[in-house]
Amino acid sequence: MPAYELAIMLRAMPKNELKSSLRRISQAIFDRGGIIRNIENLGFRPTPYKTSAHGLVHREANYFIIKVDTASQAVADLKEEYSRDVDIIRQRVFKAPTDIQDSCTLEDELLPPAYRKDVQKMIDIGKTQVNRFTYKFKYNSGLDYYPFQR
Amino acid sequence: MALLKKIINRHIVNVRIVPTVRLTSNDVKISSSDDAPVEIENPYTKERRQCILCKLNVTPDYKNYRLLSQFQSPYTGRIYGRHITGLCRQKQMQVEAEITKAQNCAYLPYYYKDKRFIKDPKLFDPENPIRPHRF
Repeated sequence: MPAYELAIMLRAMPKNELKSSLRRISQAIFDRGGIIRNIENLGFRPTPYKTSAHGLVHREANYFIIKVDTASQAVADLKEEYSRDVDIIRQRVFKAPTDIQDSCTLEDELLPPAYRKDVQKMIDIGKTQVNRFTYKFKYNSGLDYYPFQR
Repeated sequence: MALLKKIINRHIVNVRIVPTVRLTSNDVKISSSDDAPVEIENPYTKERRQCILCKLNVTPDYKNYRLLSQFQSPYTGRIYGRHITGLCRQKQMQVEAEITKAQNCAYLPYYYKDKRFIKDPKLFDPENPIRPHRF
């Protein structure tokens, strides 16, 4: 089961209602055979822009991140169910980040253009291309003389 | 012409060859082992420059929106380019992707920078880009 992160915004509501809606959200995951690894509360704060959801305009929200291990098929199902939940203002699902450590390529990027690998590759490609924009007169055209001004 | 010959002759006569001890490599006994050139790395190579995120080993993440907001313009909320931020290609792409994610999750605003983060330390100077730009 791949790891996902559910970023969820819940509307402003009293604590006991928040508790019950979080329970409802997590129950939906368990019903589809998912596992909750972690629930992060990012707090209740004003949103950077107003959001309208389910016929109401929201300027403040409770932010939660739920780390879930669930089947890929269940994710679409969960999103559909959460879209019908009036307490949820906005929900996004992302794949859990994986650590990819590559060495920094800044030094190569700061080289002069002629020394950069990508520029050299572009020049090589350019050498294979035909320039379609300059017309070259062909002398085997049947004319004995050059028809244009020299 | 005769005068010139005279002068040259006088000069050549005046030059005396002083016999001196001439050292040759055959005479001197130097053991070849301790004085041979040693293979070392070039001590004058410059240190490999790294971008600030690679140096501090930071992976940009949409949940860490305070860090991401440092790559936004305080005037327009737009993401500064690679020639201004001085990041390597990969980190810049990650930063841009994570900022769009964070904006989509309503952690970051689209058109301005969060006023709580305005006085955060500057990671780079937008006035002095690596490469000149047209703005």
